[in-house]
Amino acid sequence: MTTLIRLEILRTLRNKRYLMFTVLYPALLYVFFISAYSGGDVAGGVPAKSYFMVSMATFGAVGAVLTGSAQRISLERRSGWVRQLRLTALPGRAYTVGKIAACAVTTLPAILVVFAIGAVEGVQLSAGRWLGLAAVLWLGSFVFAALGVALGYAAAPDAVQPIVMIVYMLMALFGGTWFPVGDSLVAFARFDPVYLYNRLAAFVQPGQGLDTVAVAGMAGFLALFVAAAAVLYRRDTRAA
Amino acid sequence: MGTGTGEVAAFRNVGKRYGRVTAVDGLDLVLRPGETVALLGPNGAGKSSSLDLLLGLREPDTGSVELFGGPPRTAIEAGRVGAMLQSGGLMTEVRVRELVALACSIHPRGRAVDAVLAEAGITEIAHRRVDRLSGGQQQRVRFALAVAGANDLIVLDEPTTGMDVSVRQAFWAAMRAQAAAGRTVLFATHYLEEADSVADRVLVLHKGRLIADGTSAEIKARAGARRVGFELHPGDGEADEALLRALPGVAGLEVGGRAGGVRTVRIRATDADACVAALYRAGLYPRGLEVTGLGLEQAFLTITGRAAADEAAAAPVKETVR
Repeated sequence: MTTLIRLEILRTLRNKRYLMFTVLYPALLYVFFISAYSGGDVAGGVPAKSYFMVSMATFGAVGAVLTGSAQRISLERRSGWVRQLRLTALPGRAYTVGKIAACAVTTLPAILVVFAIGAVEGVQLSAGRWLGLAAVLWLGSFVFAALGVALGYAAAPDAVQPIVMIVYMLMALFGGTWFPVGDSLVAFARFDPVYLYNRLAAFVQPGQGLDTVAVAGMAGFLALFVAAAAVLYRRDTRAA
Repeated sequence: MGTGTGEVAAFRNVGKRYGRVTAVDGLDLVLRPGETVALLGPNGAGKSSSLDLLLGLREPDTGSVELFGGPPRTAIEAGRVGAMLQSGGLMTEVRVRELVALACSIHPRGRAVDAVLAEAGITEIAHRRVDRLSGGQQQRVRFALAVAGANDLIVLDEPTTGMDVSVRQAFWAAMRAQAAAGRTVLFATHYLEEADSVADRVLVLHKGRLIADGTSAEIKARAGARRVGFELHPGDGEADEALLRALPGVAGLEVGGRAGGVRTVRIRATDADACVAALYRAGLYPRGLEVTGLGLEQAFLTITGRAAADEAAAAPVKETVR
């Protein structure tokens, strides 16, 4: 199983297009936002460079895990690789575990590159907060990895691509990726996992602690997505 | 479920339907250790479905499938089965060697990577990316995955599709080496000469049913081993169809008419020698007599054609050689 996971990670890192999209794209957007706000604050008084550092890190991480799991699983179900693996001594879960592990490895560069730019641009945090922030955002990405696995087993490749893009864009739009979620939208945004994901970072703002509601919400979504992935995986196994 | 010793695989009254289509219909079959078995059948005969059931990729609706006396999945997890399916895909963005090394490491009794590469004839392309290989090369990589460990049973679905002739020969040489090492080999093919030259047992599936099971020679004999053809001219003897049909060893008869009272006769005979001797004893003078052997291909067409005719006639009749 470790060989499979190692190979999954290796091939993901080899895919240049994928790395461009998940690492470079959010980093470029981040630089763009910093200059667009020219050192100012977003609504709510948070400096733009801090706000978009988090939202672009989560944007990249969510993109990395959604495309990395949903699209690949869907494609490999069609190509028959999933079937071929089922003819080996590997336990059924190994394939999914490998996919999630590969995702988890790619979210780290997506997060760290944006953090590095943030540090250069003058975002100042204590070492402990930097580490805590990276850890929280990295862990939060597993929620979306589970969603990606579920989507990958839900549909064929040509359907999965638009589904992933729509889900990703809607969650980002109402999740505070492009602009802070206003009070009128919060009631709605509370049910958006990307919003909760961004809220996980709130503890680095002065006078705020860890948002336990967001943590609980993320845990709920994780349970939901894992359950959905398990059901869809079993359905696929029966129909293979 | 009484599983005798030495059963590699057993289908017991297995049925499988997809919606309204019956893919496998009451299949009873036992594979024994060391056999090299060819599975033949026209497209849609249920070959791939049967292999899926055998490998536990699908569950039968009725009956049971066992591998090495237990559920297929248990045998696969124990590393007793290697398989190469038509529908089996390959991992992309990795090199051939990496993929084969993965298969060797997953297998509980994995073999040395270099040995597997050499056996599959892919040592020269080991550094190439899997997704950049030709169809025939990918087919050899699939074969390498099937023999990456010390399996007891190897299952191959149309393994030589896309291979050119020389590669195909090398492939079967590798396959014979597997069989010589005491492994049971089951392969589906539509190249009948492969079944004829490689298999020591041939199964013929038709519409999900096993309609023939025997050695290649037995299948040919079953179909009517040889063809006897001749002409009868007027005055060569009185012979009506009933008399011809009553000749010993006649399995099939066609009588055609030609101008001037000349009739052409084609007989498919299980015992061509006795048939020809009886022709002369009956006082006939066959002209342009030809006795030709039936290939497995003709035998196959005869058997499946007959099964289709039987079905059309009414109640399906199951034919088995053994």
